[in-house]
Amino acid sequence: MAKLWAVIRREYLERVRTKWFVIVTLFGPLFFGGIMILPAYLSVRSMREARVANIRILDATGTGLGVRIADRLAAPTLQGPSPERAPVDELRPAELAAREAELIAQIQRKELAGVLVVDSATVSSGAARYAGRNAGSVGDIDVMEAAIRQSLLAFRLESEGIDAARAESLTKVRVRLTADRVTDEGLGGSGIANTIFGFGVAFLLYFSIVFYGQAILRGVLEEKTTRVAEVIVASVSPDVLLAGKVIGVGAVGLTQQLVWVLSSVGFYTQRATIFGAMGIKGMPQVGLPSVEPFVLVALVLFFLLGYTLYASLFAAVGAMVGSQEEAQQAAQPVIMLLVFSIIFAQPVLTNPNSRLAEIVSWVPFSAPIIMPMRMTATPIGAGEIIGSLLGVLLASVACVWVAARIYRVGLLMYGKRPSLAELGRWIRQS
Amino acid sequence: MPTPALEISGVTKRYAAHTAVRDLSLTVPTGTVYGLLGPNGAGKTTTIRMILNIIAPDTGTIRILGAPHAAGASLDRVGYLPEERGLYKKMMVRDVLRFLAELKGIDRKTADLRIDEWLERLTLRTEAKDWGRAKVDELSRGMQQKVQFIGTLLHDPELVILDEPFSGLDPINAQALKDTVVELRRRGRTVIFSTHLMDNAERLCDAVCIIAGGTKVLDGTMTDVKGAHAGRTVALVLESDPPSDVRAALADRSLVARCDDHGRTFELELASGADAQTLLRRLVSAGAVIQRFERVQPSLHQIFLERVGATGVEPGMSGHG
Repeated sequence: MAKLWAVIRREYLERVRTKWFVIVTLFGPLFFGGIMILPAYLSVRSMREARVANIRILDATGTGLGVRIADRLAAPTLQGPSPERAPVDELRPAELAAREAELIAQIQRKELAGVLVVDSATVSSGAARYAGRNAGSVGDIDVMEAAIRQSLLAFRLESEGIDAARAESLTKVRVRLTADRVTDEGLGGSGIANTIFGFGVAFLLYFSIVFYGQAILRGVLEEKTTRVAEVIVASVSPDVLLAGKVIGVGAVGLTQQLVWVLSSVGFYTQRATIFGAMGIKGMPQVGLPSVEPFVLVALVLFFLLGYTLYASLFAAVGAMVGSQEEAQQAAQPVIMLLVFSIIFAQPVLTNPNSRLAEIVSWVPFSAPIIMPMRMTATPIGAGEIIGSLLGVLLASVACVWVAARIYRVGLLMYGKRPSLAELGRWIRQS
Repeated sequence: MPTPALEISGVTKRYAAHTAVRDLSLTVPTGTVYGLLGPNGAGKTTTIRMILNIIAPDTGTIRILGAPHAAGASLDRVGYLPEERGLYKKMMVRDVLRFLAELKGIDRKTADLRIDEWLERLTLRTEAKDWGRAKVDELSRGMQQKVQFIGTLLHDPELVILDEPFSGLDPINAQALKDTVVELRRRGRTVIFSTHLMDNAERLCDAVCIIAGGTKVLDGTMTDVKGAHAGRTVALVLESDPPSDVRAALADRSLVARCDDHGRTFELELASGADAQTLLRRLVSAGAVIQRFERVQPSLHQIFLERVGATGVEPGMSGHG
């Protein structure tokens, strides 16, 4: 046991001390923090910065629609002070073309951001046109569309005899759709949050397994090519060496994820402060995913078993080959198994209860990635989760058994990469 | 009789295509320097790996210091220097050594003390520079060899196994290695080393085992081995290059079984049934001007050639060294 511990400690410390570990571990929270904050920041910012104030409105309707639109655009928003009111030119349809051309020239000279034109077609069918430097900004266009729609609606209500104040209050409708998830236990948290969380979990599992699996492969290969392996297996059995390696590297991965999870939780709980510091008052609502404790436990088990399964396969590949180049090639089948899992992430996430989703969460090679994603995105029966876990457990045991045998023989074999038949002999003979 | 340091009995190891070691038995007494000799591919490395439980024999038993070799505690008493040497390149020298010691069941404190001693003894730690704090790949090859050597001996093993220890050593490190082997023997430790260089073996070994083609050819103490081959070898030195009659006499297979010809100096092995007197008379009558004619003990090299030359070396046996 003391020797196993020595192997684990060496694997752990030698990796945790590297520059790369520190960089990736610290970069993670920045990355996740960025993912959490940046879209919210950008969306708020783009709304606030919508340059609809620096436009000119040409109104050829003769109904005062342009003024209504300008009023709405200038109304104070949640995000900040009310923008400057856009000037309105009321003119006859015949004058429209000339004035519009004149304004477009101004836009070219950057004296103006854009020009919004409303005419009789707007009143009858809602068709309006806008030309400006910010025509590509979805946020700006949305804001203008909303203003036109509301103004038109108010105008029509008034022309049907409803008084101005009432029309105003009737058209000021804000729609906010909250999507709640229903689970067996009742009403859960935000549905979208769970989907995002599910995808995050799948990505994290995939990333960790690929990253740390490859680390194991490189470690085994290093011991083999530097011939350190022979000194070590003269002191401890190859099984102890393999176990120590898998556990040590796994512990490095867990350390990293712990840092990530804790910092994400930190970001989340401190988000009000962070948004405040960035000058955003109205904080976009971020729904918390609702995850039951049972699912969390299963999540950790899926990670541990999935990691063990792939780590042992990568170790066997490392023991089979003699150089980095060969390793790239020989690792392909194992990588393919992982890629195959992540390819199904998207379809499974869009339709987590489909037959496809069920199948790939039962296949032991994809289950460690797909099942955790599925069960966080949508409620799944405990029986199915446990069954899938058992499948992964059995597959892990089988993979470790086979890999340990390949490892034992391959570690001291130099020269040509073994054929499948030779591999079979290695497995039988050791 | 004290417990032997190593007892191998009836050990066989087969691979798919060939038998690497066939029914090998040998005993290494405690406190001796033992040479495992043989041509490349004779099965030396396979034998050593089986002793260290790196590979399992198909049949036979191996006991180290009286206990089965597979028991973990047995291997803790063995120090091993493989033929192909290597260390973790990116690790600090001190950390590598501590790790190797821990794998032999030495606690960190004891290991650290011994590491200091060894680094100083092999001048890897001086007032000016402590190489123990450097990474392995910052060291020269010679220094890395020293570190590897420290790793082999750090846990003060009772049995030290060195596989081709002299290969790739510079003359200074080779001398240091010989000194250390002598020192280990003086302290009652047992050293087994494999080599195909007979000169080293002859000077260092108390006993030897010669294997070829996976089979033991002979074993015993150096005195016994030489004694068994004594009296059959004649050292001959001539005043001048031999005339053709003398050459004919030396080529006579009823008199001379083997002739190691160096021009004017010859190491001869008498044919069975022939005696030295007859050979001497024949040479004199053929006109040889003799400077020296002496019955000598054969060199280990001579014995090796005589015995292994007869057995032959199986081809295609070098896959595991």
